[in-house]
Amino acid sequence: MSRYFREISVAAALALVLVGLALFARAFYQPQPLLTLVTSQVAPTLVIACGMTLVIICRQIDISVGSSFAICGVCGALLLKQGFPIGLALPASVLLGAAFGALNGALVAGLGLPSIVVTLATMVTWREALRWLRQGVYVNIGTENQWFGLSQRAGQWTIIIVAVGLMIGLAVVMKHLAAGRFVYAVGTDAEAARLAGIRPRLVTFLCFVLIGALTGLAAMMSAVQSPQVDPTAGVGLELRTIAAVVVGGVSISGGRGNLWGVLAGLLLLSSINPALTYLGVSAFWEKAIQGTIILLAVVADGLRSRKRAN
Amino acid sequence: MNSDKHGLKKLLFRHETLLLLVLVGEWLFFYFRGTTTNFSGVTVGFGTAGAQIDILRHSCEIGLLALVMTPVILTGGIDLSVGSLMGLSAVVFGKLWRDAGVPIPAAITATLALGALAGGLNATLITALRLPPLIVTLGTFSLFRGLAEALTRGADTFTGFPASFQAIGQNNWFGLPAQLLVFVLVAAAIWLLVHRTTLGRSFRAIGYASEGARYAGLPVGRRLATVYILAGLGASLAGLIFTARLNQAGANTGTGYELFAITAVVLGGTSIFGGSGSVHGTLLGWAAVAVLSDSLPYVDWPREVGGMLTGLLLIVALSAGVLPKFLSAWRARRHSSRSVNPQPTPSP
Amino acid sequence: MKRFFSLSFLAVSLIFSGCGKKDSAPAAGSAGASGKKLTIAMLPKSKGNAYFLSAAKGAQKAADALNDTLLFDGPTQTDPAKQNEIVEGWINKGVDVIAVAAEDKAALSTALRKAQSKGIKVVSFDADVMPDARTFFVNQATPQGIGESLMDEAARLAGSEGEFAIITASLTAANQNEWKKSIDERLKMYPKMKLVEFRPCDDDKAKAQSEATTIMSAHPNLKLIMSICSPGVPGAAEAVKQAGKTGKVKVIGLGLPNENKAYVHSGVTDSVILWNTEELGALAVHAADALARGTLKAGDKSFTVGGKTYDIVGDNIMLGKPFIFNKANIDQFDF
Repeated sequence: MSRYFREISVAAALALVLVGLALFARAFYQPQPLLTLVTSQVAPTLVIACGMTLVIICRQIDISVGSSFAICGVCGALLLKQGFPIGLALPASVLLGAAFGALNGALVAGLGLPSIVVTLATMVTWREALRWLRQGVYVNIGTENQWFGLSQRAGQWTIIIVAVGLMIGLAVVMKHLAAGRFVYAVGTDAEAARLAGIRPRLVTFLCFVLIGALTGLAAMMSAVQSPQVDPTAGVGLELRTIAAVVVGGVSISGGRGNLWGVLAGLLLLSSINPALTYLGVSAFWEKAIQGTIILLAVVADGLRSRKRAN
Repeated sequence: MNSDKHGLKKLLFRHETLLLLVLVGEWLFFYFRGTTTNFSGVTVGFGTAGAQIDILRHSCEIGLLALVMTPVILTGGIDLSVGSLMGLSAVVFGKLWRDAGVPIPAAITATLALGALAGGLNATLITALRLPPLIVTLGTFSLFRGLAEALTRGADTFTGFPASFQAIGQNNWFGLPAQLLVFVLVAAAIWLLVHRTTLGRSFRAIGYASEGARYAGLPVGRRLATVYILAGLGASLAGLIFTARLNQAGANTGTGYELFAITAVVLGGTSIFGGSGSVHGTLLGWAAVAVLSDSLPYVDWPREVGGMLTGLLLIVALSAGVLPKFLSAWRARRHSSRSVNPQPTPSP
Repeated sequence: MKRFFSLSFLAVSLIFSGCGKKDSAPAAGSAGASGKKLTIAMLPKSKGNAYFLSAAKGAQKAADALNDTLLFDGPTQTDPAKQNEIVEGWINKGVDVIAVAAEDKAALSTALRKAQSKGIKVVSFDADVMPDARTFFVNQATPQGIGESLMDEAARLAGSEGEFAIITASLTAANQNEWKKSIDERLKMYPKMKLVEFRPCDDDKAKAQSEATTIMSAHPNLKLIMSICSPGVPGAAEAVKQAGKTGKVKVIGLGLPNENKAYVHSGVTDSVILWNTEELGALAVHAADALARGTLKAGDKSFTVGGKTYDIVGDNIMLGKPFIFNKANIDQFDF
């Protein structure tokens, strides 16, 4: 069995869906709507999924990204509304996200607390704090701030290129740079990594900071796509991201997986809802289908490792 | 003398004691801030029997989920699908009763069977294929909710259940909410299971070191299957009680409840990694969260504050849990540095 | 030892629960003496919704004018169970009258009947509950009125023929489903128009936007998108704008003026239909107050507040007809 069986099988499933759409729903491939769909649904999630991949490889998890996404988006938007340029608002959002990540990382790496519970607590706390402060009122950033001040097409392509570029850059780092391999090492066996001279707690901490920063970036990428920013955005984002990562072949027990699989997984899961519309299937099948895909992916993982064990 | 003092200190700093203090503190706070007398001299607010009964009544479903989640977490696993299973159970129950004309007792039995079956699905994937519980239950979390939405075509809800069924959720028996008595029975059963049977002890063993448990001859697969099936049963029971309480069953029943359940369990001192924890800890954690979130209206606090406080409470509780480790590590470092520079020997 | 703790916790709660007086029924019925400060409790579908926040603004102004206390509380996300629990908390608190907008008719009615049995008066607004669980329903417009306005406006913009799509809040939302039924009824009057999609956006603007994008490209001949949930109107408008179909695909819906002003002025959205939400909130409070004081009784045919008279049809206090916001008048409103 090829080492990349999982990634290849996800890509094959994606190809199947795309071919099916080409045959039964040509309309899916119109350039402008497809571009809009990818920019709004896929690109920001891809950015966060890159961070989530590292966190999961390192044997942790972060379910607070949705809340952090909402807060960073609102803060960046408030800065824009006050008249600050995008060149200030964007880094501010990234830094704020990194700060949230650092808090999670400090509790997980520093105090040794379990990441699922820490990020559950921060998820609830930040979400409720934002609700309390904003009360659901949109932040108007005006059309001049939309698309980073560029034209719609230029803005959309910028967002996609940044997202894909980030993914490729991170994939290269993970494969070829020592820092990337440290993450795999810590995820496979933290004690062995420590004995080999790596500092697992620092690596874990930095993974959380990174996912936080990426969440802040994704929040701004999403915020500039509309003249109004919604403080209730990002609900369910953490589950979508984790689902994409898991379907993409990253093992939840750590130490295994890569970003190409995650891209394929994300594209696969993102294409379900539009596919249902184009094929004329009712909307209420979406969750059931997504759940089935996740389970199939996980079962495939289990069968493969069973086969290997025998 | 010394050992007694040491024992008392240990007692005071036990997780459950501190949690009990938090609970009592919360309760007293709400009592004094949230109870008033209205213009005709009648006591109203938190300090009334009605309020206390309502708080208990509202929290029974989450309590059930927390109770059955405890053995799951003790084995080092987790079950994210219990909330979605609540929804699916409610919908199936409603459909059986309304559309298929099945009488209530049979519908209840069928729903509980469904819960066990759903738990069995989780169990099979986790034990037979050795898949990580987090991801399996993430998948079933979507799948169960999705099935509920598909069955109701997203829009349908079931209501108008017979009064005798609604009584389970709304009436008082012997002065306490009816579902509380169900809850107490389940709590007692689970406590006995976890703390007084060999089966229950094996949960902690599996959570502590599953390979070791396997080598020791424990049928790990069967034990794990038991806890997930139990969780499924608990979830469908919670779904039934919810339906009785609200006289409504819909696809969105139980949304978000799994997180509350996990919060209650972890707050109660059970380690999310498995291997240690207690059912009474879970009950204390559940009580602390339930009182906090349900008493806000009595002191005119917005709901969001309750959510924030719960999150903060969780972090503080977790951090406090690792404090003894840090203190002893710090103390050990101090002692070891002392031994480097030995005390001068007294002159002869 | 371990058992000690669980027993002690149980004991503590039982002891303290015994401390409170057994009788917790608020004597709301005897609040006939006007001049007493009433406590009015208002429950929206969810708190984080600009629609209900503007109703609350109107409600607060009314409560201040009447010298009553207004409690405004609701779940942070739509949640029928939480609505129920909040109402039960209010019963224990001893409020005088409760005004609710129900997420789910059946679920909330249980708690409201309990409130009524304890002497607390109940009115509903915006989204009704079971008729026996409240005395009056403050109705912004009948579902027929809403459905007809929407469908007629859609037909006008589409030239009475062609395909159109509807974006709704969630598939389970009760009043959206009511409105859809009236729209379907009215649609029969326009045989050349066809409804091709009915999709939910879960009250999420971003999802509404992507749904609208997908719908437009799946149906290239689409003439109009109608959104019957308020986040969907700016969401669909943004989708039309980004697809470059301004003017080709019309956008109308039920939405708040402030969220849609920019789109109406730039011609993307043609009309936004709503009613004065502040007035709705205020009317709910006035009705609640009058009901508790006894000046409004079941069977009344009209209700007068501050010089304005509202019709009562059956047990519905009617706010009036739906209002159409468009380029000409939208700037006059700020909510």
